[in-house]
Amino acid sequence: MPTIEASFTDLCSLIGKKISLEELKKLVSYAKCEIESAEGDLLKIEIKDTNRPELWSAEGIAREIRGRIGKEKGCPKYKVKKSKVTVKVDEKVSKVRPLTVCAVVRDLKIDENVLSQMIQLQEKICTTFGRNRKEVALGIYELDKIKPPIRFTTVKPEGIKFIPLDFEEELTPKEILEKHPKGKEFGHLLKDCKEYPIFIDSREEVLSLPPIINSNYSGKVSKKTKNVFIECSGFSFNFLIPALNAVVTALAERKGKIESVKVVYPKETIFTPSLEPKKAEVSIEYVKKISGLELTSKQICELLEMARYDVKLIGKKIEVTYPAYRQDIMNPRDIVEDILISYGYDKIQPVYPPIHTIGKIDELEKFLNSVAEVMVGLGFQEILSYTLTNKENLFKKMNLEESKIVEIENPISSSWSVFRNWILPSLLEFLSNNKHVEYPQKIFEIGNAVVIDETKETKTKDVKKIACAIADTKASYEDISSVLDSFLSSLGISYKLKPIKHESFIEGRVAGIFLEDKEIGFIGEVSPSVLENWKLEMPVAAFEVELEPIFYKE
Amino acid sequence: MAKYELTEEGKEYLKEGLPEKRLIELLISKKAVETQKASKEVKNFPIALKWAIENNWVRKEGNKIVLLKAPEKFEVQEALEKIEKGEEVSEEILQVLISRKLVKKVVKEEEEVRKLKGKEVAYLTPELIKTGFWREVKFKPYNVEIIGKKIYPGKRHPYVQFLNKMRQKLVELGFKEVRSQTIITEFWNFDALFQPQNHPARDWSQTFSLKNPKYGKLPEIAKKVKKVHEKYWKYKWDSRKASQLIPIGHDTALSPIILASKDLEIPGKYFQIVRVYRPEIPDAKHSIEFTQMGGVVLGENLDFRNLLGLLKKFVEEIVGKYEVKFVEAYFPFTEPSCEVLVKHPVLGWSEICGAGIFREELTEAFGIKVPVLAWGFGVDRLAMVKVGINDIRELFSRNLKWLREIPIR
Repeated sequence: MPTIEASFTDLCSLIGKKISLEELKKLVSYAKCEIESAEGDLLKIEIKDTNRPELWSAEGIAREIRGRIGKEKGCPKYKVKKSKVTVKVDEKVSKVRPLTVCAVVRDLKIDENVLSQMIQLQEKICTTFGRNRKEVALGIYELDKIKPPIRFTTVKPEGIKFIPLDFEEELTPKEILEKHPKGKEFGHLLKDCKEYPIFIDSREEVLSLPPIINSNYSGKVSKKTKNVFIECSGFSFNFLIPALNAVVTALAERKGKIESVKVVYPKETIFTPSLEPKKAEVSIEYVKKISGLELTSKQICELLEMARYDVKLIGKKIEVTYPAYRQDIMNPRDIVEDILISYGYDKIQPVYPPIHTIGKIDELEKFLNSVAEVMVGLGFQEILSYTLTNKENLFKKMNLEESKIVEIENPISSSWSVFRNWILPSLLEFLSNNKHVEYPQKIFEIGNAVVIDETKETKTKDVKKIACAIADTKASYEDISSVLDSFLSSLGISYKLKPIKHESFIEGRVAGIFLEDKEIGFIGEVSPSVLENWKLEMPVAAFEVELEPIFYKE
Repeated sequence: MAKYELTEEGKEYLKEGLPEKRLIELLISKKAVETQKASKEVKNFPIALKWAIENNWVRKEGNKIVLLKAPEKFEVQEALEKIEKGEEVSEEILQVLISRKLVKKVVKEEEEVRKLKGKEVAYLTPELIKTGFWREVKFKPYNVEIIGKKIYPGKRHPYVQFLNKMRQKLVELGFKEVRSQTIITEFWNFDALFQPQNHPARDWSQTFSLKNPKYGKLPEIAKKVKKVHEKYWKYKWDSRKASQLIPIGHDTALSPIILASKDLEIPGKYFQIVRVYRPEIPDAKHSIEFTQMGGVVLGENLDFRNLLGLLKKFVEEIVGKYEVKFVEAYFPFTEPSCEVLVKHPVLGWSEICGAGIFREELTEAFGIKVPVLAWGFGVDRLAMVKVGINDIRELFSRNLKWLREIPIR
């Protein structure tokens, strides 16, 4: 979720009304925002809608609020004049960054607030909506320093030199990728390219090396700037058009005049931006059905106007016109939500769904609870552990050879890098954390082990298991086997114990637990070398049993 | 005369016959038997041999035992029967029985307890009660103010108990529980929930992914989901990406599985309690493993007011009867969407649940025509308040002393 900073006074002046911070806190929810903090004049605002980049600036939030409080109504209109600026797109960019859409905005009066909102919006769009500049790289330039026509073409990594933003020396694109902080951060996006994309003007002055960095000459907007050129490059118009529209309409809120740019592709020519409002239709009945509200068509029309739609009632339907920056509207449902927001969630009377069904706990879950009750009856404390752990705990500390387990690709710490394939190590870890607590310690855990199973949709499977341990001065096989016996007998299970080899236990003091011919677990005295690995000084006797075979047998 | 009764061994011989009797019975038909064979066939063979030789009934010859003379009757055996019936036996036989520990003297309880008459006793015993002599003794008063020695009962984990109570509430409200799973394909976690493959919410930084195994299989429904994605989001859907495996990232990942199930009932109410995984840096508020409770309610004529009604009920039943506020929200899979804020006495206004009506594009892929209400409840902060801790990591506490001492609620 993007979080932006904005000035309280600036936001109020954009809304066009003097309001208190408390009032503002309520009003921003119309734009799906929440004020996280307010320090002096500086607000931190969290925006919940990741699909509406036009809301990620003070201008966009204010525009939304103005409709809801009756300052303005209906669809905002934007005039777009044709500029004389042309951008020629070279065939060669098709291999690296094939698309661009551009715009010009004139007559801006850029102050501190305008500048910071503009830069912030550009950054948020590139980071969140543009997925860290992969889908969208957006640059804003001082138009008066550019001599059109502009070309969007490619150069060899060492084929040109220019001064990148915030640098003093001329560098080649290759050097920028190596030396400039933005080059290091985003260079991977050009990793496999033989040539790099570049915006360059008719005097061979470089505008930028997208998606890495602007030039220091024209790619730096300041308070003195009056007119700007904006380019947006990437791979899909689905991303580029909303990104460009969000920026130009925000600048239009600051009284900038939008002009279109002629973008000449090898096979077609387009004019961007196009801010022609869009149209959709919604039926009165559908609005009532989804909202559950008894609304007249007049009321619905008013609520829509508050949400910045123009409306036209045609029989039982409403034809709506909405601004071009709303690229999120796919379905009449989206329009219904806007109606509900205008109505006010706080005014809606909740009604419990009139659906009567019979409830049911998952049978396995019920069984696991009965199992736990038996263990509690035998005097054991239930514990709970993470299912994520590490190979050291599962294998090395347990004297076992490594086997194939489920591993995390991007762990945040090596301590939690694999899923446990058995539970006893979690119990030993617990015991080693409680060496100074009174003994005997009798604990158990019921939970998932995750193992590889090629036959399943996920190539893995959860295995429900119980592990149980006694740590005491004389914790012996005899003690734990009588616990196992009362445990299994209580569940009505007859079983057999047969000697097995298991490196985690003392040889000759470990057995497999067999249900008919299937081995469902093991029991024994934990090997002193394993205890040493966990820095335990008390003997431990333990068992671990798979629970599903018992559940299905019952 | 003193009373005698059979010992455990005496009782066994009464039933099965004396060992020497059984040895003689074996020899009667054969006259001589190999020692090894006899020791196998006669229980308590060493005892049998000792007494048979002592009575001159048999003799050892090499590795054989030879019968000399079988007795006409076994006096000891008869004596056992008499004592059992309470009849008297001769002093001579009685001494043999006592020396062989087959009988013991019955101590008269009265004699023991009579000694206590008028005295102060420490314990009330079964003998005192049976004989009625408790009337003749005094009970020493204890210091009843002393607290007993600490013993620790077996207990459920408080967090598990919290989850079980919530589970019970939901069942009482008529919801069916759906089983969770740890590993899931990106398909269910994202694609089936109408989140396009290039959406920011799918960035690896927000879910873990698996190194091994890396790819799972896609269900039949994937073909329909692909169509819906390409139709509305206008991009080329990649089945390889959808089949990537991840630890389940949010509870709602199970909801499309419910919608795709053959057992789905309409109308229906389902819930799931899910351990979810996120690559968060652990601190007092964040944990890599935590729990969410989600689900769906589906049926004809459900609307947004019903969604709010459902959420209000959850808050009442699970959190408590506190003030509730619904605010605007965005989730890629619901429209309209909302968030639930509760004015909790400890936490203040806190966001505890995200919800909405599933988008029609989403339900279209599953062929579902009725509205589907969906929600995801973050239950851990509530659990923390109920359990009385301030650090989310302590829900998986490694502290045995705390677990032992925390009262059951």
